[in-house]
Amino acid sequence: MIQIIDYGAGNIKSVQNALTQLGVSSKIVSSGKELDINCKTIFPGVGAAGSAMQTLKERGFLWKIPKIKAPFLGICLGMQLLMDYSAENNTKCLGIIDGKVRKLQKTVKIPQIGWNKIDQLTPQNLLFKDIPDQSYFYFVNSYFVDADSNSIGSTDYGIVFTSVINKINFYGVQFHPEKSGTIGLKLLNNFCKLC
Amino acid sequence: MLIIPAIDLIDGKCVRLEQGDYSKVKKYDCDPVKVAKKFKKQGTKLIHIIDLAGAKNGKPKNFKKIAQIADETGLDIQTGGGIRTYKQAEKILNYGIRRIILGTSAFINPKMVRSLINTFGADRIIVSVDAKDGIIMTNGWIKKSSQSIEDALNRLRDTGLEIIIFTDVKQDGMLKGININNVKKVLGKGFKVIVAGGVTSTEDIKQLDKLGAYGCIIGKALYEGQVKLASPNNLAKRIIPCLDIKNSRVVKGKKFINLKDAGDPVELAKYYSEMGADELVFLDIMATVENRETLYELVSKISANINIPFTVGGGIKSLEDIRTLLACGADKVSIGSYAVKNPDFIKKAAEQFGSQCLVISIDPKKINNKWKIFIKGGRQNTNIDAIKFATKMAQMGAGELLVNSLDRDGMKTGYDIELLKAICSAVNIPVIASSGAGRKEDFLKVFKNTNVDAALAASLFHYGEIKIPELKQYLLKNNVTIRI
Repeated sequence: MIQIIDYGAGNIKSVQNALTQLGVSSKIVSSGKELDINCKTIFPGVGAAGSAMQTLKERGFLWKIPKIKAPFLGICLGMQLLMDYSAENNTKCLGIIDGKVRKLQKTVKIPQIGWNKIDQLTPQNLLFKDIPDQSYFYFVNSYFVDADSNSIGSTDYGIVFTSVINKINFYGVQFHPEKSGTIGLKLLNNFCKLC
Repeated sequence: MLIIPAIDLIDGKCVRLEQGDYSKVKKYDCDPVKVAKKFKKQGTKLIHIIDLAGAKNGKPKNFKKIAQIADETGLDIQTGGGIRTYKQAEKILNYGIRRIILGTSAFINPKMVRSLINTFGADRIIVSVDAKDGIIMTNGWIKKSSQSIEDALNRLRDTGLEIIIFTDVKQDGMLKGININNVKKVLGKGFKVIVAGGVTSTEDIKQLDKLGAYGCIIGKALYEGQVKLASPNNLAKRIIPCLDIKNSRVVKGKKFINLKDAGDPVELAKYYSEMGADELVFLDIMATVENRETLYELVSKISANINIPFTVGGGIKSLEDIRTLLACGADKVSIGSYAVKNPDFIKKAAEQFGSQCLVISIDPKKINNKWKIFIKGGRQNTNIDAIKFATKMAQMGAGELLVNSLDRDGMKTGYDIELLKAICSAVNIPVIASSGAGRKEDFLKVFKNTNVDAALAASLFHYGEIKIPELKQYLLKNNVTIRI
């Protein structure tokens, strides 16, 4: 069973569909109260950092997410919110992983929309099991994670940024595995199998 | 085409010379490791490092520094300068440096070139053909040889050599652009040619790319900020089948009339996803109110069956329409006529749902040499300038532009390159080329000649005239960044 955090803006349906395709059951969790800290969690994020943090606070997620002990996967904005700070709306984030979220440079088209490669920095990480290095995943982002450490995968879009991150049980991916075809499903499946 | 930034070293420091004249040394940011890291940050994969002191003295003088750059940046490096013996070459290649560049020694001793290629492969050996007035220059460009370019190339061909660097010594470090006539002398002779010497502007780069150069080396122009490394990235160009939907079936007609039934959308969507389509677009061409519920049902079904991104368009007139479509699982919505009549709506929608889910679809047609926006499926001219409108949409918060062409739709004569070029240079958001593809060459042309991010086609794919896997292989073979 995987719990999916719903804060009212994320495209949770795609994630749920992908899990269904993998034969993994899931439930939607809309408040901190319902959140089980011992249950595997996916946190899909769409929208802006400021309002997302605000809603997380209102729904009682803020203090509880850092307490989660089971594997946790933040997707897109869900990854960015794990960091200390985001330049988007000048937002203080969850601070679970050290680093900042910055805006992409104007030398490239913004938002980044499309399929880009992951350079696996630690290919032995179980999240990458059976996923070839340099595989393509689907990205939609205007901001990126500038991590101090904990980066396990990077991507080149004008600059090289952290696209996959892992600190203890917390994982984050800047791309959308649920929209990245078979290879994306494989990554989600790897996450589901983490103990 | 590869764009390769250059670092020239003397005494472990970065320098640039003018026309190879050692008395005209200009020093830049002193630590080459830092410079290399900067290039890497800008997206470079490969750098060109010349050991100038080595070139002049006839043996490598800065290898330690080059090794340090390789170790600290992990970049691919092509390096030369003073490599005169097999042993010196071997040492550098065995260290893991990607490619060595031979100059003087290659002309004195072509046999060495051959044995290096036999051992390390043609991909790791480059010969630098440095010429002044058509004559090969050696020994750090100080010595004029007796060989003409033509003679030199003929002798090198027998060694199995594949890659050459052509340096136009007269242009080098002058910031005066390339001399195309000189470059043409070495292109088309069976080598992959990397051009150096005078590459000063993005125009130079474009011109070389058009001529079929394999790469170009940029030195001074980069240091002095005349050229920026052109937003290099790995983002793949997208191939997007478009499914026009009417009563939950896929249709596509020539110039929006004579619709034919081309299949079940869910089945087609699954099929395309498996074939390697990067994304799908569904356009509800009926877009009536009565039709909405069926559309929502269809979108939910598609979302449950495929996991690549898809866009839904047709008849979107309110934030509620967008919300429902996104909730049904659409990743983006495409808005056409309504955006033309209500540009502010795009701003509101962007604030509410984010730019990333807003695709603005425009239907330009050329009238008296200007592109005008048409609405109502191409039946009504709004007299709005298409380029200005595109800019406005980007400002309002559009995430992408889907650019059709009423002049090209269904004609299979190729995308409207001029229109797409004009739009791409006006906006800094992704652009999807649409209308006019007939052959796989059309896709190559649109990716090579314009800065579009994606190319869309419909009947071409539905009727199997072009198969997506074959198209992608073809584009990949022609050096378009494509996800396979």
